[in-house]
Amino acid sequence: MAEHDLTALMARHMDCHLVFPLLEFLQERQLYADEEILEAKIRLLGGTNMVDYAMDIHKSLHATEDVPEDMVKRRTEVVSRLRALEEAAAPIVSFLQSPQLVQELKPDKQYNIHMLQERFQIGPDQIEALYQYAKFQFDCGNYSGAADYLYQYRALCTNSEKSLSALWGKLAAEILMQNWDVALEELNRLKEIIDSKNFSSPLNQLQNRIWLMHWSLFIFFNHENGRNGIIDLFFQDRYLNAIQTNAHHLLRYLATAVVVNKRRRNMLKELIKVIQQEQHDYKDPITEFLECLYVNYDFDGAQQKLMECEQVILNDPFLGKHIVEGNFITVPLRDEFLENARLFIFETYCRIHRCIDIGMLAQKLNMNYDEAELWIMNLVRNSKLDAKIDSVSGTLIMTTNHVDIHEQIIESLKNLNTRTHLLAKNIVEPAQAAQQAAR
Amino acid sequence: MASRFWGQGDSDSEEEEQEIESEAGSESEDEGGDAGGRAGNQNRYLKVTNASDSDESDSGQRVIRSLKDKRNEELKITVDQMRNAMKINDWVNLQESFEKLNKQLEKVVRVNESTTLPNMYIKALVLLEDFLAEALANKEAKKKMSSSNAKALNAVKQKLKKNNKQYENLIQECREHPERFEDDDVEGKDVDGEDDDEDSDADIEDPEKIAMSESEEEGDDDEEGDQDGGAWEKKLSKKDKLMDKQFLKDPSEITWDIVDKKLKEIVASRGKKGIGRIERVEQLTFLTRVAKTPAQKLEILFHVISAQFDVNPSLLGHMPINVWKKCVNNMLLVLDILQQYPNIVVDTSVEPDEKETQKGADYDGKIHVTGDLVAFLERLDSEFFKSLQCTDPYTKDYVQRLRDEPLFLVVAQNVQDYLERVGNLKSAAKIALRRVELVYYKPQEVYYAMRKLAEQAEESGEVEDAEAGEEHQIADDNRGPPPFVVIPEVVPRKPTFPESSRGLMDLLMSLIYKYGDERTKARAMLCDIYHHAISDEFSVARDLLLMSHLQDGVQLMDISSQILFNRVMAQLGLGAFRAGLIIEAHGCLSELYATGRVKELLAQGVQQSRYHEKTPEQERLERRRQMPYHMHINLELLEATHLICAMLIEVPNMAASSYDRRKSMNRTFRRLLEISERQTFVGPPENVRDHVMAATRALSKGDYQKAFDVINSLEIWKLLRNKEHVLEMLKLKIKEEALRTYLFSYSSCYESLSLGQLTTMFDLSEQQAHSIVSKMMMHDELHASWDQPTKCIIFLNVDQNRLQGLLFQMADKLSVLVESNERAYEAKTGGTLEGAPPRRRGDGQDSSNMGKWQENFVSSQGRQGGGRSGYSGRGGGSGRGGGYQRDNYQRDNRAGQGSRGGYGGSRFQDGRSRTQSGSMARGDGGARMVSLNRAGRG
Repeated sequence: MAEHDLTALMARHMDCHLVFPLLEFLQERQLYADEEILEAKIRLLGGTNMVDYAMDIHKSLHATEDVPEDMVKRRTEVVSRLRALEEAAAPIVSFLQSPQLVQELKPDKQYNIHMLQERFQIGPDQIEALYQYAKFQFDCGNYSGAADYLYQYRALCTNSEKSLSALWGKLAAEILMQNWDVALEELNRLKEIIDSKNFSSPLNQLQNRIWLMHWSLFIFFNHENGRNGIIDLFFQDRYLNAIQTNAHHLLRYLATAVVVNKRRRNMLKELIKVIQQEQHDYKDPITEFLECLYVNYDFDGAQQKLMECEQVILNDPFLGKHIVEGNFITVPLRDEFLENARLFIFETYCRIHRCIDIGMLAQKLNMNYDEAELWIMNLVRNSKLDAKIDSVSGTLIMTTNHVDIHEQIIESLKNLNTRTHLLAKNIVEPAQAAQQAAR
Repeated sequence: MASRFWGQGDSDSEEEEQEIESEAGSESEDEGGDAGGRAGNQNRYLKVTNASDSDESDSGQRVIRSLKDKRNEELKITVDQMRNAMKINDWVNLQESFEKLNKQLEKVVRVNESTTLPNMYIKALVLLEDFLAEALANKEAKKKMSSSNAKALNAVKQKLKKNNKQYENLIQECREHPERFEDDDVEGKDVDGEDDDEDSDADIEDPEKIAMSESEEEGDDDEEGDQDGGAWEKKLSKKDKLMDKQFLKDPSEITWDIVDKKLKEIVASRGKKGIGRIERVEQLTFLTRVAKTPAQKLEILFHVISAQFDVNPSLLGHMPINVWKKCVNNMLLVLDILQQYPNIVVDTSVEPDEKETQKGADYDGKIHVTGDLVAFLERLDSEFFKSLQCTDPYTKDYVQRLRDEPLFLVVAQNVQDYLERVGNLKSAAKIALRRVELVYYKPQEVYYAMRKLAEQAEESGEVEDAEAGEEHQIADDNRGPPPFVVIPEVVPRKPTFPESSRGLMDLLMSLIYKYGDERTKARAMLCDIYHHAISDEFSVARDLLLMSHLQDGVQLMDISSQILFNRVMAQLGLGAFRAGLIIEAHGCLSELYATGRVKELLAQGVQQSRYHEKTPEQERLERRRQMPYHMHINLELLEATHLICAMLIEVPNMAASSYDRRKSMNRTFRRLLEISERQTFVGPPENVRDHVMAATRALSKGDYQKAFDVINSLEIWKLLRNKEHVLEMLKLKIKEEALRTYLFSYSSCYESLSLGQLTTMFDLSEQQAHSIVSKMMMHDELHASWDQPTKCIIFLNVDQNRLQGLLFQMADKLSVLVESNERAYEAKTGGTLEGAPPRRRGDGQDSSNMGKWQENFVSSQGRQGGGRSGYSGRGGGSGRGGGYQRDNYQRDNRAGQGSRGGYGGSRFQDGRSRTQSGSMARGDGGARMVSLNRAGRG
């Protein structure tokens, strides 16, 4: 099932640190050989300062106690650099660590900077050092520290570019610490900035949006309100455009979110339009499922695809998140997806049929006859379905309610009357009032 | 020097001038040896001395020749009169003068006692002929002429024609070698006339020799100088051998100064009468061989190249092919030099030093030479293009000419490489565009063929060169002395092509996108899209087009870019068709065909317009932008594609909406259909149109087999690369549409219909048929539902009868009317109607859409004037409603054509939201239309 794995595509748009969770997941699913993944991890760690971790992996990968020379060298480098940065940022860090002093900061940035300069001899250089320090902390894997420093930095920083990248750093740190609420806040803040900021080129802005969407996946599939959030974000015109331009694979997550979300059924139409446009560029069982069902009305095909979908979901780091309850491991998203997808098929099927064999239906829904009958009965009872079961012949008969043409015509003409009346009233009344006033 | 005076053609005033000149000249006599700007002066001086020489010799005979002189004088005066008359366009006077001239001629000939005609006369004839041709060409001026003038013009025309027949040969000669006649003119006074060319040549070129003798061989006496000069001169005018001798004799004596001076002189002679253009080229070419330094050689080469471009002065014609080839070789030579001596810099900005080029090969600073490689290359390209335009595509010449393409590509490639090396990436992008424009229209097969040709060119190169009139080159090499500056061939003489045309395109594209200017980028983008479209990558091409937003600004581009855009749209349509995307194909093509001027839009021929006369200028312009034949898009194929797409869309559409005719997707198709329906007898189909119409008739009856057979019988399918595949696709589409049409037309006759029957009727698989029928049910096109156990379609009898259909239409229109009333009210009061029910149609409207609406409303309001009361108001209103709908529909159509529906516009808007709202609104308009109808019916 590795063919539907998007990790390679996604990693391009993510921070090194964010890729780790993905690799962890892959390792767990055992889609690839362990060695390959460990290799990838070491390479990934090369871009960070987490040398100790890299050493550990190296040991387990090659089953030795020796550590390559360059890693050792790098470690000492990292440590020394850490020292230097720590020193540089020491004044401001010590300032920030005392709560009383922090109290004195006010929302006015200029004032703060002035105050720091006057009373504590903390100039722009020190503030800059704070940023470097925070970045370094982040690279070392100390996310909470980095998040704190970056938060403080943003309060003091005046450079909008720096502030933006600090925000990115904060977001990454929060994601990695799994503080979903905070992360969501940061995400929204970042989004606002991206949308309002003047980028040097549209391309740049596009790239920023794509990053944002990729990073947001972590939040949306973990935060409880994320399923709405993803639809809200991704369906915004600019983001949808970004997806269509350069990140087609995100359609999978969007499609899944739409299928799973009962209240956002209305987005389905738009989603399908997009999927159809992009079918040359991106295709996976989830989008194909929707295409089969809503473009070609090919129910057998949809059934087929649904089976593949299950595998895709299980193997996707975001969708396949599992929850351990006692001895059971459940993948909540998979269950929801399948349930909803089944409902989709059934609904569509019923819409164009007058009479359906329940046996066949049961087979299509992957249930046995009794289960299916029960399921349908429930649907009918909840008046979600306007139909009757003919249990002698084992069929479901849909009641068609077609409005009489006369009624239709009358209906369409009826409100014309009231509207015109209202209009006339509105025009005539002021005129009459004016007349009376004149009299 | 004398050009001013010659231009006025007053040969009799010459003597005076000469006197004046001689005074001026004498002043500069002392400094005569100077090079550069002085050359002109010196010339004058020298010339004067010369002329005075001849004067002296003449003076003795003057008395004797008085009679002849007199006659000649008369003749000359008449010619002058003619000239004056020409200036003021006085044909009456001209006619008289012409007659007088002929009379005088007899006398002159008698007096001269010779059979030859005075050159002056021939020249006058030539002049007159030219002027006549000019006058005739200028129709407007002709119209303005007074009647007597026009009459005289005609008279002259006829007489001249008759008269000129006698002297055809002479006139021809005069045209070819005007200098010969010019020279004679100078000596017109010696009626001996029979003077050798040599002498006259010597006279003219004397300055030369003296300059030479002065600067070069100071010790020599004049006579020797004379001789030398004569030799040189002759050689320059095609008598190379003598010249060679001179140079072979003493190559070491030639200095930079001499060459430079000579060069300046030749350059100064540009545009003068009496200097053959080809001769100029030859003179300059010789100079390149004697150039002393590489920089000088380069400079001279630049002059050679521009002289070669000058060979053909008219905009319409193209430069002779062998000249073109030589020009290519010169360009390569230039590049060789530039490669060999990287310290030589070519630019246009820096004014080079007088002595800049004197710096030798060993000079290690920068040497600036003025020149513009890009301009040369672009000119070369356009000459190539023009020559293809002018050649008859069905001849061997055309093919021969096409084979020269690699030649050009190699130059372009080298120039581009050079520019990239120098860091002038902007210009490199321009060159890259030229290369792109030669490649973009070639499908892979043609590209391979070209690549192979270029590779073979090495072996056959020599042969071919020799064939193609390269003897000149070889001969030149043999004849001339060995060049002083030997430049080895460092630049590759063979183009290198990447494996696939795509690779080449990508390579060039990335350069252009990075460094090109707006126009270059836009054109390159179009070429890229075109290339994608012909290599069956429709979706890529479509995305590129939409991303580039070219369709928004195409109206503002220059005409040739617009043509390119049209070609791109045509290819996109064909590409979509091959990919089986009928709606997209239709969208691309229908706009092209909407005007009925496809040929013109694609620049593949001129279409005569019945109502509109074109002026000659317009025609000429049009001819100049025609595409050469090998770049044409096959029009029959295009038409077939367009009509078939229209058929597949329109036939079910017509069947579905039998009540309202106005809902048509393609007006062109509808019109054609109406015409063919009006015919009393329907013969067997002959052209593409007939075929499609026959197929349409069959299809509207649901007879897919016949429809397909008719279309299959078209000849043009053999032009398609994957013919079977396309036809297979087409057959399937026809079946599908036949099924839809059938259901639309006859569903009211059925109570139920089994799937099995449908599949046998239309030869479709069960799955396909099921899918099609399901789709129709889902979209409310078919009021029916499946009976799953029996696999039957059960029809619900909800079809409206005619009255009901009309009622629905009326309801629609009324609701439009009410809505516009409400809007009017809102616009007036500024507030909304309180308590008004939510508008049915207003749901998804965004603000820009409202704007559109209001605009629409306001304009129609304006048109309607004050028709407010009673019946007239209502009538107007409903008409307006209809109008609105039609408008809306058109808009929708247009949106579909331009960018394929609502999605097109709103895609890829990132950061460039200028057009977003517009196209969104358009899309919405379409969506609204659909929802309106559905609401009405179901």
